[in-house]
Amino acid sequence: MSAPQPDLQPNIRHYGDHAVLVEWNVDGFDAAVSDQVHALAARLRKTDLFIEVMPGYDSLVASFDGARMSVGAATRKVEDAMVRESRSETAAAGRLVNIPVTYGGADGPDLIAMAEHIGKTPEEVISLHSEPEYRVCMMGFIPGFAFLSEVDPILQHPRHATPRAVVPAGSVGIANWQTGIYGLESPGGWQIIGRTELDMFDATRKKPFLVEAGDRIRFVPK
Amino acid sequence: MSAITVLNGGTQTTVQDAGRPGHRHLGIPRSGAADKLSFAIANHLVGNDWDAPALECALGGLHLRFERDSRIALSGAQMWAQINGMNVDLNRALPVEAGDILTLSYARDGCRGYIAVAGGIAATEFLGSVSTYLPAALGGIEGRALKTGDTLDLSADPAGEGRTLPKGYIPFLSGHIVLRARSGPEWDLLSPDSQRYLFTTPFIATPATDRMGSRLRGDRIVTDKKFAMTSSPLLPGTLQCPPDGQPILALADGHCTGGYARGLHVIQADQWLLGQIAPGMKLSFRRCFEEEAPDILQTRNALWSTLIPGFSF
Repeated sequence: MSAPQPDLQPNIRHYGDHAVLVEWNVDGFDAAVSDQVHALAARLRKTDLFIEVMPGYDSLVASFDGARMSVGAATRKVEDAMVRESRSETAAAGRLVNIPVTYGGADGPDLIAMAEHIGKTPEEVISLHSEPEYRVCMMGFIPGFAFLSEVDPILQHPRHATPRAVVPAGSVGIANWQTGIYGLESPGGWQIIGRTELDMFDATRKKPFLVEAGDRIRFVPK
Repeated sequence: MSAITVLNGGTQTTVQDAGRPGHRHLGIPRSGAADKLSFAIANHLVGNDWDAPALECALGGLHLRFERDSRIALSGAQMWAQINGMNVDLNRALPVEAGDILTLSYARDGCRGYIAVAGGIAATEFLGSVSTYLPAALGGIEGRALKTGDTLDLSADPAGEGRTLPKGYIPFLSGHIVLRARSGPEWDLLSPDSQRYLFTTPFIATPATDRMGSRLRGDRIVTDKKFAMTSSPLLPGTLQCPPDGQPILALADGHCTGGYARGLHVIQADQWLLGQIAPGMKLSFRRCFEEEAPDILQTRNALWSTLIPGFSF
């Protein structure tokens, strides 16, 4: 494996007195950075020194018990993990999960307006959105919400100025270059183009989460 | 026969324990007692381990009937508490008999009162914790706040005896909460005026205050330039600064990611106070330097782990 490119070197910064932030600072989605984020997350989890290890798109936050180590010591632990990481292989590709989606209609109330706005037919939007394979980059803000990698540049579309009070669970949306799936019914401002009937999160299931960060997703139009 | 009947659930009463840390990367917040210290004090006084499941009552209004002889303790927010119409003290183990009725009136200082019962409250477990998380209906009693007619069981047989804490150690709560904080990741992006306001002028907690967060009102806190932030991981105790200038303080049930500048982060030793922010309360931030934070935490931990075995902030 080649050495990391200089522009992929992240900054490690203090996040208060009991967390550190590792930040790559790239515009939009960068697959190589995402690989590094998840490889580092896996390595930090193995150390048992951190309470929360939270990968983001181009950053990672790791919190710890400030009584066990100082923020300076935590920074050094992360630096060590990154040095070792750069010598190891890339993270294993996650599982591929197919998500059946009903596009448009009541399930995708923003599909037609969005298609008109970008000068495409709804069918073209559906095929552009369901063609690529996406990566699950981050989970949250609520249980089961999957933040996915970049949509085709043609589909990039801003959030609603005023969020909807209720977005149903399973809704598939677009916000700028991000696409994502709502894990629970919640308020939300994303452009909703479809919905899956799969439960992204179900506390009563043996495996409550359908996908995890690092997995790959393909949308299958119904 | 159940141990307790809920006659009135009050403003919002939930079952909480020490929470389910380690799952924020899945979108699951830690939850748990919003004020960990008062929760631990109540449990300690009734003879429980500090992290036994207990009731957390926001703002008051809870009425309970005990269906068997038991022992309880109340801690946290200053609420008038009565058993069968007689005033009772907070922060002390209280014997109760079958048929006794506990009523909590409105919280005067602080926001959340903790009601510990010897043996702990039985509730549904998820990811190793019975803490109630309302947005996803996790843990607790059907994942919701208590309501009239609910019956509660004990999670273990009451063991041990009531305990006391030495005089003078119970924290005082007031209508003005002061939180020590360090700068957050996007501190440098805030305008110089905003940086000064954060540490010099008080804020008011608005009615948009719950277990997820508290929207504050005060001097406008803005970033120097307009900037678009990618959604990024977020921790409880972080003050987020959206473009409208009114910051939001994330609490125990707060979102796991956010898209606004993370201006401040409350130090670990002061995070228990986040649970006592009530709507209308005054709130100030005090700067804490990097070198101070570990000393504050270690001193507090050393003291409280002597008083309450196993407890740390």
